[in-house]
Amino acid sequence: MQRGPEDSRLDRLVDLVVQIASGDLSARLQPSPAGDSIDGVIVGVNMLAEELHVSYSDLERRVAERTAQLEQAQQELHRMALTDALTGLANRTLLNDRIEQALTRTRRGAAPPTLVLLDLDGFKSINDRRGHAVGDAVLVAVAQRLQKVARETDTVARVGGDEFAVLILDTTPDDALKIAERALRALRPPIQDGDQVSSVGASIGVRFGSLNQTAHELLRDADTAMYAAKARGRNNVQIFAPAMHTAALSRKSVAQELRSALHTNQLTLHYQPLVELTSGRIIGVEALARWQHPHRGAVPPGEFVPLAEETGLMGDLGNRVILTAVQELATWNARLVLPAAFRVHVNTSPVQFQEGDLTGTVRRAMQQHDVSASRLVLEMTETGLTSLDAAGARTLADLRAAGVALALDGFGAGCSSIGQLRRLAVDTVKVDRSLMENLEVDHQHRHLVQAIVQLVDALGLTAVAVGVENGGQATQLRGLGCKLAQGYYFSRPVPADQMLELLRADQSRHVLPRDDAAGHHLHTAQP
Amino acid sequence: MTPVPPPPMTVSLLSDGLVRLRWTAGLTVTGELARDAVAAVDQVCAGQPRPMLVDMAATAAVTREARVVFGQKSSASAIALLGKSAVDRVIANFVLGVSAVPVPTRFFTSEPAAVVWLQQAGDAAGA
Repeated sequence: MQRGPEDSRLDRLVDLVVQIASGDLSARLQPSPAGDSIDGVIVGVNMLAEELHVSYSDLERRVAERTAQLEQAQQELHRMALTDALTGLANRTLLNDRIEQALTRTRRGAAPPTLVLLDLDGFKSINDRRGHAVGDAVLVAVAQRLQKVARETDTVARVGGDEFAVLILDTTPDDALKIAERALRALRPPIQDGDQVSSVGASIGVRFGSLNQTAHELLRDADTAMYAAKARGRNNVQIFAPAMHTAALSRKSVAQELRSALHTNQLTLHYQPLVELTSGRIIGVEALARWQHPHRGAVPPGEFVPLAEETGLMGDLGNRVILTAVQELATWNARLVLPAAFRVHVNTSPVQFQEGDLTGTVRRAMQQHDVSASRLVLEMTETGLTSLDAAGARTLADLRAAGVALALDGFGAGCSSIGQLRRLAVDTVKVDRSLMENLEVDHQHRHLVQAIVQLVDALGLTAVAVGVENGGQATQLRGLGCKLAQGYYFSRPVPADQMLELLRADQSRHVLPRDDAAGHHLHTAQP
Repeated sequence: MTPVPPPPMTVSLLSDGLVRLRWTAGLTVTGELARDAVAAVDQVCAGQPRPMLVDMAATAAVTREARVVFGQKSSASAIALLGKSAVDRVIANFVLGVSAVPVPTRFFTSEPAAVVWLQQAGDAAGA
């Protein structure tokens, strides 16, 4: 190939390559009409540059696409991290952020926010009895109702299983309270989901924010107010007051003390006899937990049992009661040889059946002390029995199969149902103490108690009248056909050693009443 | 009076059953021109696949978009690219190498050799 002095194509080709190398992929060189090898190289470089340009553009487009996808995924992750998957409401993290933002605005002069905390009443029972699908539908419906009650600027959040919150901004305490009350009203109508109708209520705590308050304090105080609403019988709104905080602190410290009391000898059992009305013989005892606090003295069961339930100590407390009762029963039996039908009654709570290993605890206690399972009667209220979830019902069936008896406690106190009495697999029905009032003077009331006793009898169960305080009541009950009774008239609950003495006296004399050394009275129902 | 520019391409059906596509010398074949060419070839073939001789001698360039069009299936059952210069060879090999051609395609500098190959390729394809 000849190249004349005027042919500058190679120099221009070098310039083209330099231009492309510097990043200008749009650079091109026109080939000459000669179409020779130099033009071939020029066309080749042009086409390679174009290829490179297209490849780069394609790569850039793909990178941009992937980046957009990543950003979208990141936004979705962010949204998921801040919202509740079931209801689509803000979650606790987002609520905390919004509270922080609101408090920052307050420090700059905006009105303080108000936090409304709601805990659903009756939700657990819906979940347990009808399953999680129905429970979820209820939570979604509650979320929708709360969103309708709140304003655009407010944040509605789901902060726990059945716990919701509304953060109210830029409003007066009066208006914020109206929103809380509207929320309470909004939850009252039953929730329809397909053919399922559910009813829930809410215990609502309200905390009006203030300057220099932290998000943690706002949440804690609203929580305290919510617990106060629960303590006041649920389905109401309580505004936080500092006194509530003191009460909550005190409960917290009592709960800690109760935890340690379970591992020391502060917790003991007292026993109240169950008496056969015709003979006056003691046919069993009910074990009742007592807490002798080192500084506060005797703490009433009405105080520490609900606290144990709230703080998750009920399982430990219940196990402790069963172990002690069986052990003390074995001690009495070793000294006196109790009749085969003599049984010890122990109060139980649904949580004991649903969590932990109640069957194992009972079996171990029985084996360790060589006591027959038929000597143990577990007592539970009708509400407790009907609220047992599937796991609780299995535990109950296992215990029944092992020979443990079941007593229905407090029958006739509330909306007791005869149908339930047939369905619930109980052996003994304890007729509530409220039915013992006016027994001697009100004959209509006597008929009612008689009907209950006869009904229990007709179902092949055993009725025990509870709360018998005087001889008149005992006489009436005997006349009504009630065979067993329990109450102060026969004996107050007494410590194990005194119970042993009562049992000894019962065995040796068979004749009652008698006064014992401790001043406890045990009476027959003889007039 | 402005002279009428020559048409960018001509497409004709030869007596031996080949289709001939001839590009005007000095032309840069763009995507649009490539699509026009394919449409014209399809029209001439009238649904019958035929071997095609592409006379690309003195074509200035073929854009990438045009090469993508040539990579799509048309009425041509085999394609012989006929050129003369080094430029033709480079362009033809970009068409062959960079794009994935859907039918047998080769570059020739001799028309008789191209015709023989096309006829053999046409027989093999049953055209």
